[in-house]
Amino acid sequence: MSAVRGVLGRRTPWLILGAALLLAFVPKLGLPAFYDSLLYLILHWVVLATSWNILSGYTGYFSFGHGAFFGAGLYTTSTLLGRYEWPFLATLPVAALVAALLGVGLGAVVFRVKGVRGELFALLTLAVTFVIGTIVVNTPLDGGQGVSLSAVPVPAIGATQSSTFYLLALMAATVTVLIAWGITVSKFGAGLYAIHDDEDAAEVMGVPTYRYKLIALAISCALAGIAGGIHALFLSYVTVGEVFTIAVPLTVVLMSVLGGSRHWAGPAVGAVAITLLLYSFTAADHAIAGKALTGVILIAAILFMPDGILPRLQKLMRRRTPPAAVGAAHPPSHLAATGASPPSPTSATTAGHGEVLLRVQGLHKSFKGVRALAGVDVEVRRGEILGLLGPNGSGKSTFINVVSGHHMASGGTVTFEGRALTNHAAHRIAGAGISRTYQIPRPFAHLTVLDNVALATMFGGGVASPDEAREQARAWLHFTGLHEKAHALPDALNLHQRKFLELARALASRPRLVLLDEVLCGLTPSEIDDAVALIRRIRDQGSTIVFVEHVMRAVMALTDRIVVFNHGELLAEGAAAEVMQRPEVMTAYLGKPHPPALQQPQERAHA
Amino acid sequence: MLEVHDLQVAYGAAPALWGVSLAMREHELLCVVGPNGAGKTTLINTLAGIQRARSGRIVFEGRDITALAPHRFIEAGIAIVPEGRRLFTGMTVLENLELGSYLPAAKSQRRESLASVLALFPALEAKLASPAGELSGGQQQMVAIARALMARPRLLLLDEPSLGLSPLIVHDMFAAIRRINAEGVAVLLVEQNVVMAMEVASRAYVLEEGRVVADGSPAELLARPEIQRAYLGV
Amino acid sequence: MSGFSLPSATLLAQSILSGLFVGALYGLMGLGLSLSWGLLRLINLAHFAFAFLAAYLCYQLAGQGMDPLLTLVVLVPAFFALGALLQALVARFAITPFNSLLLTFGLTGIVEAVIQTIWTADFRKLESTYAHLKFKVGVLFVPVPELITFVLAVALSFAVWAVLRYTDLGKALRAAAEDATIAAAFGVNQKRNALLLAGTCSALAAVAGVCLALSFTLAPSQIYAWVGVVFAAVMLGGLGRALGPLIAGSLIGVSEAVTMAVTAPSWAPIVSFTLLIVILVFRPGRVVP
Repeated sequence: MSAVRGVLGRRTPWLILGAALLLAFVPKLGLPAFYDSLLYLILHWVVLATSWNILSGYTGYFSFGHGAFFGAGLYTTSTLLGRYEWPFLATLPVAALVAALLGVGLGAVVFRVKGVRGELFALLTLAVTFVIGTIVVNTPLDGGQGVSLSAVPVPAIGATQSSTFYLLALMAATVTVLIAWGITVSKFGAGLYAIHDDEDAAEVMGVPTYRYKLIALAISCALAGIAGGIHALFLSYVTVGEVFTIAVPLTVVLMSVLGGSRHWAGPAVGAVAITLLLYSFTAADHAIAGKALTGVILIAAILFMPDGILPRLQKLMRRRTPPAAVGAAHPPSHLAATGASPPSPTSATTAGHGEVLLRVQGLHKSFKGVRALAGVDVEVRRGEILGLLGPNGSGKSTFINVVSGHHMASGGTVTFEGRALTNHAAHRIAGAGISRTYQIPRPFAHLTVLDNVALATMFGGGVASPDEAREQARAWLHFTGLHEKAHALPDALNLHQRKFLELARALASRPRLVLLDEVLCGLTPSEIDDAVALIRRIRDQGSTIVFVEHVMRAVMALTDRIVVFNHGELLAEGAAAEVMQRPEVMTAYLGKPHPPALQQPQERAHA
Repeated sequence: MLEVHDLQVAYGAAPALWGVSLAMREHELLCVVGPNGAGKTTLINTLAGIQRARSGRIVFEGRDITALAPHRFIEAGIAIVPEGRRLFTGMTVLENLELGSYLPAAKSQRRESLASVLALFPALEAKLASPAGELSGGQQQMVAIARALMARPRLLLLDEPSLGLSPLIVHDMFAAIRRINAEGVAVLLVEQNVVMAMEVASRAYVLEEGRVVADGSPAELLARPEIQRAYLGV
Repeated sequence: MSGFSLPSATLLAQSILSGLFVGALYGLMGLGLSLSWGLLRLINLAHFAFAFLAAYLCYQLAGQGMDPLLTLVVLVPAFFALGALLQALVARFAITPFNSLLLTFGLTGIVEAVIQTIWTADFRKLESTYAHLKFKVGVLFVPVPELITFVLAVALSFAVWAVLRYTDLGKALRAAAEDATIAAAFGVNQKRNALLLAGTCSALAAVAGVCLALSFTLAPSQIYAWVGVVFAAVMLGGLGRALGPLIAGSLIGVSEAVTMAVTAPSWAPIVSFTLLIVILVFRPGRVVP
């Protein structure tokens, strides 16, 4: 988000309004009507591309159905005007509503289906466009011959008809761009960006992904509907063939991709560039060459500038102003020195140490017939550090995945602080006070380190304002020693730092229970020492910890109790040093019952 | 037969192997053990050509094969049974085996190879037409080993073949591995199941955090505290 | 306006037959697309543009006296080379399947522009000796161009199926599509195989183009009319399955024809797209495993 705000910052909405106000005076210049029409078209595409981007650019759900929503608005207006003789301006809110309802109806079904993302979502929305187009063409809405609106009076907003349309489009464009900007600086927008980078991780961190996608879709459709309504009167003769096709979505995709689909102004930039380009070629009688050129531009953009023009420009501008001195990548070994004490976890009750925080009973999980968990019972007591051990394939990660909501349980119950959480949506589990890290770190690749943590603060931790969330996030970065990397992107971090980022994210939602999945894997011995110290501090400031680990000396040093899984079942439970010497546990780890030679070191360890 | 000199492998910024060296003679059954995250899979993948080394050399039968393209390693005579089997689950067992002998040299001997792997794993005969994804874990492991054998390798790399399998099947599988080695194929085995691995190997290396920390005969190593400490922490 | 009227048995049978024929063309057009998407992870929107380019070239060569079917001798190798070239370029940049869709859309625009420049936007119809030939089988008419299309579609689909199923190359392609790394560990040279496959897909587009030219009037704007329904056939048939597009295409073609006979032609598109939506919502795993 901070990268997106760019140079303008908080003054942006005023600048947008100011620009709009200036542009409103263009008709006064007395240019020939041709210019009004051209400017209308540019603004029309700004609305379409920006509205498309609100869902597709921000969340990554590229829709090829924008023509359907645009067309819905178009035909709503044309029907109300032609058949029911409504006043024109009154039709626009209805057009927006119809389009939005259509979108939400579609989204409510499609977003529930986990497998439909990426190219499948694109093609599904395209199919919807053709279905709706066919229905429209065959019913009295269009009837096959199109709808003529030439008899409808154009409201006298501007001096001439063409300037009226220009002003209408200007208003629509201003509203659309303001909304697009507003989203990027809001908590809602942060959630959308997270969905883009890693929807499942976002859900687990507390983002209500289903709801957010629907809201973004509704806004996107409503704005497209308004553009459609205006366009209906502009064309004064509407046909299905111009609207319910593949041309509209592909054009908006081109414009947004070219301009930069993560930026609120990207689609607008792309819309201006492409419309002018096409128009200039058409005007010079080289429409075909114009089409070919847009093809070349799209190819070049995908191959060489997949993020678009604007981010490239922003990078150039950032290079001119040298960044604040960033320290070299040194290990966060000065943890003791940083006295920053982050907010302690919200405590629901004042019960003391020892009371059962998490109770798992009979937990089953199967994947396509393979049993990963075969009925485990585990109790986690408040304030303890519980180690979760077992050979590979014993079900430890599955246990964490099910408890955190990443997977649905096949059977059994999970109760947290007395509340049943079995099979709740992952974002609700996060909100209830449970958080987790991933064994292979899954940071949001396009968000800075600070924003990664701020996201957890906002969604798992329930903080409403992005700025306040960032303040709290900074404290967590100090706690984990990452504060000097606050504005770096995750791929600039090494593995150790990325693991600590996972930790910071898990802590930022102020959970009562933290689930750590092999957080030490791949670290050097000194890094492991740092991590162990950090985990101790986490417990000391009030969190309960369950951690899956293989690094034995960490397990010995940290845990109060361990449980050992094997083949999806609970094998043993108790104090670490004692459990690891039980014969059945040694067998599980090392293989067949060990020969006597291995028993001797027991005495040596005590010596 | 196989010499590895100072192999350094990294995944992007994260190093996995810090200068690993080992040597292996013909017909040997060598075992590489170590805890999770030690770099065992990285080592095997590099020897099979799946992973590129950042520096170091792999010399096989006198040839420096370090820079070969991935699909040429099998031509050199090295076949892999990867971790997690990685069968072509959408294809039948027979098709998987046929793919093992994709190379022209192996293809010409496909019939004999098929006969000998079926002799080694008779249970597969009934399953030849089944999609590989429908087999049990133990059966899939057999198919994975058979697939590699169909390539008629001189060095067979096995990455954690006992993973996720029940003890009884593990026992049978190691017996098969011993037979394969007895028939002249050199075997490099990476295993978490230390005791079983030590029973079949003639020599072993212990890997920890990307480095070789010990090597020798199984009996010597089992008597030393390194392994126990590394795995159990006690 | 669009009422329901039950047609006579003969009319219905004729409709079903023509639906089968057009469905075969959907299948033929979809074959290359399905293989490319399923086995190469390349969603090649330009497939349609290539087909039309081949159709126009066939029209051009036929206009100079060549027998339309004979143009295949020239077009198939030419388009094979074109497809391989495209794959070689795409392979240099690691492109996600979705981006390949966007990229090939750009390519489609370029090819469309080229077509329009050379042949203008006017409608063109290939005049050939076959164009008006018809058999009569019982009470049904069997037009020769459509029959040729049908035969080619069936023959090529089965040929591809056989190659994928029985030959080592086919198995290598299927294996590499599932797990390219391990396939390479067993000697599969996926780079080279991908070029072969991509060339074949384009060659199939060329054949589809010739069939197009035989039966339909050509115009650059028509390229996009086929995109929707062929994608539907490809996805309903399951990606990478050689017989899938043919079967699904025939199903769609017949359903469309029956719909047209019973209601009005303009309702036809709803069939394929509704089927597609249904399958995507209820069984997305069947489409893209």
